[in-house]
Amino acid sequence: MEFTDFGHFSDPSLLILASLAGGNKHGYAMMDDIQAMTGVRLGAGTLYGAITRLEQAGLIESLPVDERRRPYRLTAQGAALLHQTLSNLEKFAGLGLKRLAAV
Amino acid sequence: MIRSLRPWLTRLYPRAWRIRYEEEFTALLEQCLNSPLDVLDILLGAVDAHLLLLSGESLNWRVMNMLNKIRTAVLIVFAAYIGFIIAGFSLVGLADDSPMAALMKTDPALSAVWKTIAAGALVALLAVVIGGLPLAITVIRRALSDSHHGLGLLLVPVLAFLALVLYAAFVLAAGLGRIHIPGVFQAVQPGAFPPGNRLLMAGLMATFVLGAIASTLAVWKVVSRTDIEQETFRAIKLSMTVKIYNFAFWPAVATTLAMFVMLVATLTWGSLAFSSLPGVFTGNFGPWGTSTQVWFTSVILVMTLSTVVAFLGLMRGRSRQKLT
Repeated sequence: MEFTDFGHFSDPSLLILASLAGGNKHGYAMMDDIQAMTGVRLGAGTLYGAITRLEQAGLIESLPVDERRRPYRLTAQGAALLHQTLSNLEKFAGLGLKRLAAV
Repeated sequence: MIRSLRPWLTRLYPRAWRIRYEEEFTALLEQCLNSPLDVLDILLGAVDAHLLLLSGESLNWRVMNMLNKIRTAVLIVFAAYIGFIIAGFSLVGLADDSPMAALMKTDPALSAVWKTIAAGALVALLAVVIGGLPLAITVIRRALSDSHHGLGLLLVPVLAFLALVLYAAFVLAAGLGRIHIPGVFQAVQPGAFPPGNRLLMAGLMATFVLGAIASTLAVWKVVSRTDIEQETFRAIKLSMTVKIYNFAFWPAVATTLAMFVMLVATLTWGSLAFSSLPGVFTGNFGPWGTSTQVWFTSVILVMTLSTVVAFLGLMRGRSRQKLT
């Protein structure tokens, strides 16, 4: 799979994909969920910069507006990319931990 | 304090972005705009959104941006057309009640060129009406349903027209002697216009020009707020969906071409008329005894500027078909 470049928003994009892997959410719910998962509170500008790129890349898609809030959900492509990225991170983390253990 | 910045912060984003995200983004800001750091984050987000749009990375945005370009192109042509109308009425003012009017009755070439100008004016008017009708209906519908502010802006052309009618009635009453104004005379000789009459007519011209400018600005403002690509029109049992800005584009092209034809015809008319009557060109046969030379040159300058602006407006919207 080709790596998608999210520019300056690569980390927030990963956080959003991970958040939506747990279910459909609108912007504010994503902010709360990401803060609960990682302790990171994304700003509104950062969040929507990443949402814009993810939606354009076809990794997430919008659902009908519910009282001025628009929920988003992970697409199959987004789920596959998240899986690949997290697997790579897992391998990287495993390798790093092995090396640390040898120090 | 920070919360009051919300509408201003949202406006920093590109229009194409706002069309898609403004409603939900505003709803989010109502909950999480609390500190200067939040403001900074939004400022950076707005810069990033502009850069993303410039990079052409986002196809959907580019499509929306193209729609904005068509809308701006249509509005530019409309504003240029209003400028051209002002120049056109000034040309009629120059030709009426002057030796040129008598010459046109006997000179077939001059008469033909004048008819070309009239035909161009008719084509331009029809194009503006045809192209602008779906847009006007949509804007009025939205103003009635969504925004009283938009409705207020739409009243500007109506009030400007009423002001012009009232002033014209005042001038007519003064001309007929129903109202006596010191320094204004009923009967005047060509080339010898009293200062009082000149001031009165200059006021009429100013009412017309200022009204036209105010109306154009108001229409521009209300149309630029109408972020609607298409509208469905129903009459009896017929239903038709029109892409209002795309629909208006080709009439805008026709208007611009008609303006160019009228400009060339006006130059030809001036060349023919003033070569036959050189004394008129150097004399004071403009409206209200003003210099013919200055008046005609001003008409040509405004017509040229309007045509160039309309052409540039069309160039701005020309690439839309590739993406819409």
